[in-house]
Amino acid sequence: METLKRSSRVLAVVGVLAIVATACGGGGEEQASPSGPSTKGGTYRTAIEDFGFTNGFDPTGEYLGTAWGLYSDLISRTLVTYKHIEGVPGDEIVPDIAESWETSADGLTWTFHLKSGVMFGPPLDRAVTSKDIAYAFQRINTKSLIAQYGNYYAGVIEGLTGDAKSPSTPISGISTPDDSTIVFTLTKPTGDFLFRAAMPATAPIPEEVGKCFTKAGDYGRFVISSGPYMIDGEDALDTSSCKAMEPLSGFDPDKFMVFVRNPNYDAATDSPDVRSANLDGVVISIDTNTDDIFNKIQSGDLDGSWASLPPKTLEQQYLTNPDLKDNFHINSGDRTWYITMNLLVPPFDDVNVRKAVNFVIDKTALQKAWGGPAHGEIATSVEPPEVLPETADYDPYPSPNHEGDVQAAQDAMKQSKYDSNGDGKCDADVCSDVLLVSRNIPPWTDMNPVLSEDLAKIGINVKIRELETSTAYTTIQTLDNLIPIAANAGWGKDYADPYGFDFFIFNSAGIACSGQVNYSELGMTKDQATECGPKVLAAWNAATDNGKTPLPSVDKKMDECYGLLDEARATCWTELDTSLMEEAVPWVPYLWATVFTVTADSVTHWEFDQFSGALSFAHIAVNNGLDPTSVPVG
Amino acid sequence: MSQVTDTITEPELDAGVEVSAAVIGRSPWELFWRRFRKDRVALLGVAFIVILVLLAITAPLIARFVVHHGPNEINQDLTNEIGLPAVGPSGNYWFGVDTLGRDVFVRTIYGARTSLTVAFFATGIAVTIGIIMGTLAGFFGGWVDTGVSRAIDIVLSLPILLLAIGIAAACSITATGCLGGLIQPGISLVVGIIALFSWPYIGRIVRGQVLSIREKEFIEASRSLGFTNSGIMFREILPNLAAPVIVYTTLIIPNNILFEAALSFLGVGIPPTTPSWGRMIAEAASGQLYTVAWWMLLFPGVALVFTTLAFNLVGDGLRDALDPRMGG
Repeated sequence: METLKRSSRVLAVVGVLAIVATACGGGGEEQASPSGPSTKGGTYRTAIEDFGFTNGFDPTGEYLGTAWGLYSDLISRTLVTYKHIEGVPGDEIVPDIAESWETSADGLTWTFHLKSGVMFGPPLDRAVTSKDIAYAFQRINTKSLIAQYGNYYAGVIEGLTGDAKSPSTPISGISTPDDSTIVFTLTKPTGDFLFRAAMPATAPIPEEVGKCFTKAGDYGRFVISSGPYMIDGEDALDTSSCKAMEPLSGFDPDKFMVFVRNPNYDAATDSPDVRSANLDGVVISIDTNTDDIFNKIQSGDLDGSWASLPPKTLEQQYLTNPDLKDNFHINSGDRTWYITMNLLVPPFDDVNVRKAVNFVIDKTALQKAWGGPAHGEIATSVEPPEVLPETADYDPYPSPNHEGDVQAAQDAMKQSKYDSNGDGKCDADVCSDVLLVSRNIPPWTDMNPVLSEDLAKIGINVKIRELETSTAYTTIQTLDNLIPIAANAGWGKDYADPYGFDFFIFNSAGIACSGQVNYSELGMTKDQATECGPKVLAAWNAATDNGKTPLPSVDKKMDECYGLLDEARATCWTELDTSLMEEAVPWVPYLWATVFTVTADSVTHWEFDQFSGALSFAHIAVNNGLDPTSVPVG
Repeated sequence: MSQVTDTITEPELDAGVEVSAAVIGRSPWELFWRRFRKDRVALLGVAFIVILVLLAITAPLIARFVVHHGPNEINQDLTNEIGLPAVGPSGNYWFGVDTLGRDVFVRTIYGARTSLTVAFFATGIAVTIGIIMGTLAGFFGGWVDTGVSRAIDIVLSLPILLLAIGIAAACSITATGCLGGLIQPGISLVVGIIALFSWPYIGRIVRGQVLSIREKEFIEASRSLGFTNSGIMFREILPNLAAPVIVYTTLIIPNNILFEAALSFLGVGIPPTTPSWGRMIAEAASGQLYTVAWWMLLFPGVALVFTTLAFNLVGDGLRDALDPRMGG
């Protein structure tokens, strides 16, 4: 998923992982949390520069990590969920709406038994049934609703193809024999199915409201709650007809989002391990000025940050002032920040060039631009350590202190067809004025000069384009742009299994003419290239010598790992990571980022949600005693 | 018959009358220089500009031989663990370093190159277009005048900054920029945008001047002598435009320098690897870095202020000296 996306992790492989991950994961420097008794009540007030929702908060397609935290911690219960705590235990699957489940011997049938008493919020005032969950899957199946991670279900659940014209179309592989039972029939054994059943798109959606919204993103302003909280104003929704429905007053995409308690929530159907529900509400305001957000936290007008990077001057204070020790928290982010190279565009169509780039980049300088070791470990391979601890120490392009090895880089470049005189520097025309897409905010503004200098050492002269975050992503997601190299992207796990990290970014199924995330075009086929126009086809032909030397692909290896479990699975994924880093070489990973959150003194209990990669709204507590509807917003 | 001569000869005087110093006829340029020379403040401005231009021209030499640091030379040893500058103004780094350990002094004088280059080229293009359009409009009148005047009105009413940001952003997305490679983000785009928005000022002034000159007697005289339109334009009108054009050009330059700084501040146009005062100020302001590294803000800020001030003073001085009636 895009950085700020989240995933959950099944502890299926956890036995080995738990031990290893605790040792290796996330730099290990988790801060001690304020650990007084959790005060009940109060409102957590925070702010963010921009919600950045990828699908308008419509759960069917919403792929933003922080949004997943809002769903899972606050308003959207799923068949199974996580404990919304930090670290490896935070990636452990626990029951939520389902109290138990069985798998058939052949692994193709999953039967879930639902708890009774799980209620939708007002004005619906009725129990959640298996049909509501089936309806959520029917929405995923509907083409017009653009389920951005629909491929986790399409082709996996029988009858779910992603092409349905309407969400009222039933799916043959999902049956609801009664209100508290739901049965999934799969096309192939899927070891990580529980992870997929914990993702917010599968949360129950009432058809009486959902049927009114068949365009992607529209339902986002009308989300009906099944959790301990709801969007303010949900009880005032007029459900008498589609026309009568007005967007919930508590959510204005440009200004604020207010959550209040769901009066229909029955804590007896939930577990305090999963959701303590200490807060009376959450208020998120939009504030485009990052400095202002952190000033407000210091002055007490906000209780903490959510997903904003504190300015370094402020960070300096937090790191050096012992009185502020309890006010900042560093947690493992389960995400990799990386530089991606496009296999279709010279000079990056030559694997030797891609290896040279991996050698020459000074990763310590990039880490410093982020704020030094407090912001994460230097990434030496694709998967973050929490996702695949086996590769935490794997470094195929070593250099002293990770500062880059110019000699090794030039040696690699010498093997390339673009270095005709063997001096270790590219001298072909394609190496001058190479477009590099990046972002225009810190830390990228400090990273870009480093990248420019480093690449010049192997003769690649880049033209850096600094774009806004969303523009940068859209630009590289549009195949036709044929962007050679980009540094703007990060990728977080969807769930804590390498499949949930690797699938969309490295499998050729993730390639599309726009809105795709396989930026390197790994494994692209001729048909895919043809579909995207003559320019892309010409590039594909040039890169593959008219099809004679196909692009590197990891599709087959991924299929191989798909059905495996436990150690065999971990070994398989390790081999895949190795193959990615040494044979395909689509990326230069440089940082396994931590998440840095700042809180005010009003926060009496802090918790981090490993699933969403942000603070755990499900468990934190504040002592400001505020009522969420009384907090000024907008 | 008496001769008509150019010089005024002294009349015969009775002996014994004191004769004052000869009244010598002076050309307009001599008059201008004498008046300008007396304007101390303007001379200061000229001096500053001359020094700035020299620094800008010799910047690479200074970088190499005097301070031994380039403008983009990154030095991670000079920043602390989280990437804040650790060295302020000192022996080796006269203006301190920035968040990547780059020498702020060298970047400031390289920034002068950017500012002056952009300002001169953009202004030069704007003035050229402005003179052409203004002269044609003023001289021919009729629909030519209407067309040019409306064009001027339209351009002057456009939201400059928004359009500049929009154009620069739109042309950044693809490798080749806009118009098939003609518009690429970078100095040329910034120059183009500034020139596009500056020419109307000169255009309007020139048009006004041409309109008034056109009615003067010597133009009628030239016409009756058989001069063609272009002959009149080039030989009679343009030379008379010199004074106001020079003045307003000099006054536009500081506007354009500030415009470039504003665009760079917003991160639009100048590539990140080219030092620019606007960008340096933006970097110093982000995250309130100036609270721990005041030198990152002070030096480019002061350079910008003084350069703008110098050009304004020179422009005022020129206006006062070239035509005391114009400015008052």
